Amino acid sequence: MDYEQSPDRHVGTAAVGSGDRPKKAPVPVKIIVAGGFGVGKTTTVGAISEISPLTTEAEMTSAAVGIDDPGQATMKTTTTIAMDFGVLTIDQTLKLYIFGTPGQSRFAFMWDDLIKGALGALVVVDTNRIDDCYPAVDYFERAGLPFVVGVNTFNGQMSYSLDEVRWALAVREDVPVLSFDARFRGSVRDALLVVLDQALDKAIRQKSSYP
Amino acid sequence: MTYPDSDDPAHPARPSVRPFLQSGQFPAGGYRPATRDAEPPAAEQTSGLRPFVITSGRTDGADPDIGMETQVTVNPAAGPVRLSPEMRAIVGLCGEPVSVAEISARLRLHLGVTRILVGDLRAAGQLDVHVLDNETPDPETIMRVIRGLRAIT
Repeated sequence: MDYEQSPDRHVGTAAVGSGDRPKKAPVPVKIIVAGGFGVGKTTTVGAISEISPLTTEAEMTSAAVGIDDPGQATMKTTTTIAMDFGVLTIDQTLKLYIFGTPGQSRFAFMWDDLIKGALGALVVVDTNRIDDCYPAVDYFERAGLPFVVGVNTFNGQMSYSLDEVRWALAVREDVPVLSFDARFRGSVRDALLVVLDQALDKAIRQKSSYP
Repeated sequence: MTYPDSDDPAHPARPSVRPFLQSGQFPAGGYRPATRDAEPPAAEQTSGLRPFVITSGRTDGADPDIGMETQVTVNPAAGPVRLSPEMRAIVGLCGEPVSVAEISARLRLHLGVTRILVGDLRAAGQLDVHVLDNETPDPETIMRVIRGLRAIT
């Protein structure tokens, strides 16, 4: 590794840091919460996070994929997007980060960075605007990232059944489609547990194929 | 700004001249991760002036190892150096392990800018960036997350 802790040395620096000896950094793991605007991503992140969701701004240059204009295949756009994220401390050595990300395909460039090392993704769906989540589903399928489709039941209402949502999205059989309520911690936790089950399956498969 | 580790091949020294001086000899973002072929040309990135100045003109020099969730701490062996206000603020946050995304959010710095500055501070020996050995999480780690999640109410 290229970082070496030498806790016994303590040199005065510009650092405002207090610590006599820095704690061992926890291992970070992350889950992505994706979906169109207004489907409840931030609510989902906020429900499970132990801190109020923080917002980071990322300036992204990306190809405008999916825009029906074959004449300008190289068109690039620079967009500043806001990404909300939360943290859940599993224990002293393990931290779970939950990143909410806009689901539009023109942000695909950012997703490449974002999904690197991610455990899996929860694609949040509003049944009134199912097509908003197509880019996210497409992207995770292509990237081979385990994902789960979670229909956010605003006020317990769903315009379509889970079977209908599955049919509309045409996701593979092994992709779970479930409903949850983004406002409730227990409900979000259960949805994330399904994501983690998928992640565990994949990790075990990989481990057994590369012993 | 100095780069004590300028001989470290993993972190080549980056010129810290002003952007307008840099534009000729070094195209913006002269250091770019080799792994990402889909990356758009730096010339097409038109970020606002201020982030551009903070990073000495680089717009995509971020180390691909530095992810949003990557943990960062102060290097206890760091020697005293003069740092820009933004860099001082970053170092000030890293007394406890903190993620790059948290640094970005708390300092209201663009994520891309934060990643570049964290990379610079790492190269300058001011910060320890805790890059994980294995990129994909192992089953044991996932099991711990599952158990931890189940435990919350």
